Parts: sequence; C-alpha cells; structure tokens
Amino acid sequence: MNKRFKIGIFDDEEKFLSSIRSLKEQKLSIHDVFTPYPVHEVFHLLKRKSRLPTAAYFFGLAGIIATLAFLYYTSVLDWPIVYGGKPFNSFPSFIVVTIVITIFTVTIASLALFSARSKLFPGRDNTIFDPRATDDKFIIVVESDGVELSASDTAGDIMKQLGAVEVMEKEFGNVNE
Amino acid sequence: MKENIVVSRNFKLVTLILTAIGVGTFIFGLLSNPQLTWANYLVVNYYFLSLAMGGVFFFVLQSISQSGWSSAFQRVSEAMMSYTAFAGILFLLLVFGVNDIYHWAHKEAVALDPLLQHKSPFLNVPFFVGRLIIYFILWIVLIRKLRSISLRGDMTDPADMDGILALFNKSELYSKIFIFILAITFSLAAFDWIMSVDPHWYSTIFALKNLAAAFLHGVSVLTLIVFILHKRGYFPFLNKYHTHDFARYIFMLSIVWGYFWFAQFMIIWYGNIPEETAYYFVRWKEGWKVLFFLEIILNWAIPFMILLPVKASRNRTAIVIVIICLIIGQYVDLYVQVIPGTTGLLRFGIVEAGLFLGFAGFFAFIVATTLSKAKLIPSNHPYLEESLEHRF
Repeated sequence: MNKRFKIGIFDDEEKFLSSIRSLKEQKLSIHDVFTPYPVHEVFHLLKRKSRLPTAAYFFGLAGIIATLAFLYYTSVLDWPIVYGGKPFNSFPSFIVVTIVITIFTVTIASLALFSARSKLFPGRDNTIFDPRATDDKFIIVVESDGVELSASDTAGDIMKQLGAVEVMEKEFGNVNE
Repeated sequence: MKENIVVSRNFKLVTLILTAIGVGTFIFGLLSNPQLTWANYLVVNYYFLSLAMGGVFFFVLQSISQSGWSSAFQRVSEAMMSYTAFAGILFLLLVFGVNDIYHWAHKEAVALDPLLQHKSPFLNVPFFVGRLIIYFILWIVLIRKLRSISLRGDMTDPADMDGILALFNKSELYSKIFIFILAITFSLAAFDWIMSVDPHWYSTIFALKNLAAAFLHGVSVLTLIVFILHKRGYFPFLNKYHTHDFARYIFMLSIVWGYFWFAQFMIIWYGNIPEETAYYFVRWKEGWKVLFFLEIILNWAIPFMILLPVKASRNRTAIVIVIICLIIGQYVDLYVQVIPGTTGLLRFGIVEAGLFLGFAGFFAFIVATTLSKAKLIPSNHPYLEESLEHRF
C-alpha cells in the first residue's frame, strides 16, 4: 500500500530544530528525520531513548572477562611456559591485549546490534525520501496519510514558514517502520 | 547576578588559622624531626603548586581551543593560577632543606657514588636553585600577563568589538607560548623536585605522568570551587551541560593519568632491570603496597566507574564524591613518590596533617582573595553569551 508524506528540507540546524518543536506542539506525527551529523537535541525533542550505551557497556564487560579468561587459560592452565622469568599469570602484561580486544569487541558488537535493531543489512530495499538526505541537508518527513488534508497542509506551512528550503509531497510504497 | 565575590570574615579567619597551624607545625617539625618535615613540606608544597598548574593548564587549553562553554568560569582558573607566585616563595624555602630531602646533595655520598658523579653536572645545589628560580620567573611573568589581559577585558567598552577581539587574540597567543614553556619547564620541575628524590632511578614517562596528574587534580579542584560558588549563588546559570563538561574533563584526564601510571609501571615490571625495579620494590613492601594500590583506585578506578554513566556525569553529588577521592588520591600519589626515597617511614601524624591543613588554608585564602579582586564573570569575553546559554 502506498503512503503519502510531506517532506521538508532545511539547510540550517536551528531552523530544522524549531520546525520539529512546532510540529510537536501541533501534535503532528513525525515519521523520520535525517541529519548530516548527530544532533543531540533531536533525541530529546522526539523523546527517543537509546539503550545502545548500556549494551555497549555489557559488551565491554564481556570482552574484558572473555579476554582475561582466554589469556589465563592459554598461559596458565593449558600450556604454561616460563618466559622472561615472569609468573605464568603475568597480569600486567595481559592488560594491553585486554584493552585492545575489548575496544574491538565493543565496536563490532555494537555495530552488529545497531544494524540488527534497525534492520539494516546488505541488500535491504530502503525508502529514499530525498537523495539529499545523505548529503548536507536536514530533512523532516511527516506522515500525511490517514491525516486530514488540512493537518497535512499545516505541516507543510509550518515547515515553510520556519525556513525550509523546499517542501514537497511524495508517495512511497513499502515504507519500513 | 552577583558581580563580585565577598569573602566573609569567618572564611578569612578560618583559612588564616589553618595557615597559622601549618606554620606552627612546620616550626615544631623542624625542631623535632627536620628530615621528616622537609619531605612532607615538599609533598604538600608540590601538591598545591600542581593545583595552580592545573588552573594554568585549564586556562591556556580553553584559550587555545577557543572553547566557549568555559569562558564564564575563566576567573576561577585565574585565581588558582595566581597561587603560583606564593608557591614560588615557599619553594625557595626548600633550599634550606635540600640536604634533608635529596641524597644527591650530600657531598660525601656523591664522592663514593659513580652514578651520582655522572649526574652531578645537572644535579647540584646551585644549578638546582637556579633552575627553580628560572621556572618560577617564567611562570609568574606569563601568569601576570594572562591575568592582566583578562582584567583589561573588563575595562574595555563593550561596544569596542575590535578592542575585545584584539585582547582575545592576544590572550590566545600568550596561551600558546605558555603551553610550550609549561610542558618543558614543568617536566623538568617534576624531574628536579620529585624524581631526584630517588637519584639512581629514572623514568622517561615520569614528567608526563606528573603533568597529567597536575592537570587532573587542578581541574577537579576548579570544578569543586565552581560548585561551591554555585551553591552560594554566584553562578546561577550553571546547568547540567556545564556540569557534564567538567565531568568529561575529569573523566578524560583520569584515564590519561591511569594510562601513564600503568605505562610506567608495566614497562619497568616487564623489563625487570634491577636499577629500575628498585623503585617499585620499595613501594611493594607491606604497608606501602596498600598505598600503591590505593593510588590507582582513587585516581583512576573510582572516577572511571562513577563517571561512566551519563546520569552520574550530570549529577553534582556524584562528581563531588569523585573530586574528594581525587583530592585524597593526589596526596597518596605524591606521598608514595616522595617519602620512600627520603625518610622511608610510613606514618601519618601531626606533621603530615598540620602541614597539609596549613597549605590548604593558605591556598584557599589566596584563591578566595584573588577571586574577590575582580568581577567573577569576565563581562566582555567574546564567548560569554555562549557560555551562559551552553547546551548540547
């Protein structure tokens, strides 16, 4: 089924943010936003919360424990070798390896979790609302399907009034949540 | 918004009493046990100088990076910087204690020791004192320059944009000069004053570690001062974003400190060369081992674990707990570095406590009176608006 969307394109962060603010005030449902760089305020305005940092913390904890356990197993339990007169469990020399592997674990695992959560995978058919979403523009996508015509026009008016470079209405099929 | 700080009579009285206690303890200590007293005098004197240097670091780094968020707190770092001149006088007194603290200052010890003879062109009393004076002259001149530029900003007409910008650029230029000079002189100073306590031992990362420690503890004390002033109604605009930025500074520097601490320890532990391990061997004996681990727990582990969640980084109570840990941690750090090489006696008695209280009182007195001498908020700073409305 096809859905209709109002798309506002901005080239200024402040105008973009104030548009989101007044769209929220008018209780219009924002489908998605695109920014060229992370803007923290969007998170607060759209009342989104990310649990990714918590997950990353536990990935890190798991990485530390797994690496130290592995090092302990290889150099103390399974194949103890004396080198440099050091004890088998030479903890300080394990630290550097542990730090590096922990960072690696956190990076890869967070990336995998993020992709899984947002259903990103190679070959996914993505809806491209506007090609400039991947460039230097700020984009707000408002759902206008199922909303009264006047409300949809209001969304367009608000965005235009608050400094959108361009406002348009487009129709897309198979839009991902 | 209150423009100037009024230092209450009670505060002045308490800090001056503390200073008097410090002076009393110092004289009492000199009469009863000069070696112990001079060693502890070095510890606390260096402690408060490192806080002042932390203030310098904060100031110059903020100017060089032209950061806006911190410009309203600039005067606090200036007040901390101004303590350096007094620390200089107190350090000059150390000349009388050179024989009690430093092994290399004994002529008969040098005569028997080829390594000390080899180092004697650098480690001798006249050159030591000369270097000390040069460091302090350089620091005091540059600090006075930065302070006067900052104060001139208050006098300028707010409409004179060019004049304000010229002062801003000038401050940045001197900050750039200062950070280079500070990196070299403070490294050498750490070698001179702290590392030469163990003249047979050397570590090339030592200066960096002490530089990071000074910056870390300077910024944490600066944060504490800002929080105290906020509680008394002086920085009404202080919001969670400012708090978060201070917490980030502490968090980042605590990791840097931990990194250097561990780098120094691990290389020596792994290399296992007798003349290097001797340093840690002494610090691993019974009682010292507790302090040795306490050092890394207080300065790295606790700040790291507490400030990791965003919520705690925006919570002033959590940050104050971290700062208290760091204030104790810096003392433990310096104590472990200096005392085993001088008296080698693990104790915390009247001399230690009295000297610390005395210096703390004096430092608080100087910082408070310097703060009260100028406007608390630099009214014509180009980034002031951004600082007041800081958010991210």
